[in-house]
Amino acid sequence: MRKKFVFITIILLAAVFLSGCTGAVAWPGLSASGDVAYLANTNTVYAIDAKSGKQLWKFSGESSGGIFSFGKSPNMYIANPVVTEDGLVIILDSSSKHIMYALDPNDIDLEKQTPSIKWKFSAVHGLWIAPPLVIGDRLFAPNSDGNVYVLDLTDGKSEKQAIETITVSESSKEEARLWSQPVTDGERLFVTSLDKSVIAIDLETYDVLWREDLGGAVPGGAALGSDGMLYVGSLAKQLERFDPATGAHEPVLDTKGWIWGTPVANGDNLYFGDVEGYVYSYNTAKGALNWEAQPDAVITASPLVYGDQILVATESGGVYSFNTDGDFEEWYKPATKGKAYTTPVIAGDFALVAYLESDYYLVALDTESDEKWTFTGK
Amino acid sequence: MKNPGNQTQAQRPELPKGFATETVKTIAVIAILVLAFTNFSAVINFVVNILIFIYTFVGKSFGIAIILLTVLIRLITWPLNAQQMKGAKAMQDMQNDKDWLAIQKKYAKDREKLAQEQMRVYREKGINPFGSCLPTLIQFPILFALIPSITYAIGSTPLSILKLSNSLYSFQDVASLVPLNSKFLWIDLGLPERTIIFGVGIPILALTVALTTYIQSKLTMPVSSTPGDQSAATARMMSIYMPVMLFLFSVNYASGLSIYFVASNILSIVQYALMGKVNWRNLLPGGQKS
Repeated sequence: MRKKFVFITIILLAAVFLSGCTGAVAWPGLSASGDVAYLANTNTVYAIDAKSGKQLWKFSGESSGGIFSFGKSPNMYIANPVVTEDGLVIILDSSSKHIMYALDPNDIDLEKQTPSIKWKFSAVHGLWIAPPLVIGDRLFAPNSDGNVYVLDLTDGKSEKQAIETITVSESSKEEARLWSQPVTDGERLFVTSLDKSVIAIDLETYDVLWREDLGGAVPGGAALGSDGMLYVGSLAKQLERFDPATGAHEPVLDTKGWIWGTPVANGDNLYFGDVEGYVYSYNTAKGALNWEAQPDAVITASPLVYGDQILVATESGGVYSFNTDGDFEEWYKPATKGKAYTTPVIAGDFALVAYLESDYYLVALDTESDEKWTFTGK
Repeated sequence: MKNPGNQTQAQRPELPKGFATETVKTIAVIAILVLAFTNFSAVINFVVNILIFIYTFVGKSFGIAIILLTVLIRLITWPLNAQQMKGAKAMQDMQNDKDWLAIQKKYAKDREKLAQEQMRVYREKGINPFGSCLPTLIQFPILFALIPSITYAIGSTPLSILKLSNSLYSFQDVASLVPLNSKFLWIDLGLPERTIIFGVGIPILALTVALTTYIQSKLTMPVSSTPGDQSAATARMMSIYMPVMLFLFSVNYASGLSIYFVASNILSIVQYALMGKVNWRNLLPGGQKS
């Protein structure tokens, strides 16, 4: 009888083990403010001194209570942390708890090396994937339930309630998942949705001004070009140009693969990648493609303008440096393994690249691509 | 001059009827398992594609797709399950066989000899000792692949959609499928299910998994007429052990998997019922003793 129990236990453990073959469920979130980098990695958010690579603090949220954690699931942090004007760090628990935390890095528990929670917000129904956008004293938080929640950052409440809930999509809540950070032109807020739409919201009245269909889901965000137009890529393999005032739009470029990351504007040029591994430079003033190039693997991250070069991180773990003419070289590659899906950031003097399935979570690189430090979370 | 080949053939003990076939089956199952686990990502991709294919035909409902996939798996493995039942029955009958009981007694202190004699009895009666577990084993790659498949297919995070796009065969248009609808009834299939009742999250689906597993194992438990029957005692213990294990499993994994377990349990009861093997009296208190 004992043999049978052992056999079945082994089978169930094997099932658990093999289910681990799926690997990670999300790539890390990364952002920076001054000399501090914030890394949202699985179940912990880390604040890291960009000069030294030393951990300043970490936050894992409230305990999940183990396997009998009824009503709770393990914490999961994947959205890029956001820093408010008064220095609070906004992080999002992307588990089924749906909690947004505002952490005060000036009030650290020295023993646990954890910042205090200034306020929380959890009155939502979907996963947090998109980072919120802070505009003045308001915070706009898109959620996977299809709503944008507006919070008042100055109300002093420790349990926030939305001052406005903007339902941005006409499709079912299951489809209208909002996965990217909104952008603003000062008058309007632009939100993209997996239900294939781009939505403009009036910042004062919170009215939906227009909603346009793109023919493909939009996991990335919109970018404002130097021509004042809005540019959005989608899974329909097209870059579209929008008139921010009216929503009138047209495709301006066909791409080889899905456009995942938010395009990045630098002067008149727009840079972005696709999942077929192509990098594009599009001139918004001329309305023409400058160049396209294919380094080596899937690109989900947005490019990073770093000095006079454009850095692009790929699924292979490689970071490629492009000049404005489209010439490129492999700039950095981890010695062992790792996948780079997250958009790199600049913190202090270094470019930081976050890795998935690597020996380290984060690496700091100077302008010569020399490794300055790596961060393992230990 | 004698033909040495003929001599060898004459001296070779005759194999029982069906024994060679059973051996081939065993080797085939082992080969399939080795192939499946050494190419596990291919198995995952295969299951993902079937799941997505069904999903597109049922009005974009993952819950329905998982249930239909379960029905499909049950139909495909119907002959195997039937064979498993047959094998289990044969093994149970063996426990009461005179020869079997005699060798158990005779070689109780010589385990090696006992094993040899047991194999002899198996051969003589044409029973494959693995006959009851091979059909179960062959289903494991599919069961194991279901866990990651459901995680990929539901696509509740950007990475899972990216993995899904890499998993799908070229004839499936992922771009038109995204976003995938992960809702079924009140459940988000990509997450462990909890229903908040009076402020407490109750894992209703995991409890349903445990309950249906218990009922299924009780209903399909054979009635033993022999006091101290080892296999009956094992079956009774398993009817407690399995629901607990699957409950713990369901509490922590995507609820889509729990939907599979519940559907699979119900279909298993249906299959047993259709084959006239359900023992409804087992559900009654003291029913097993009769």
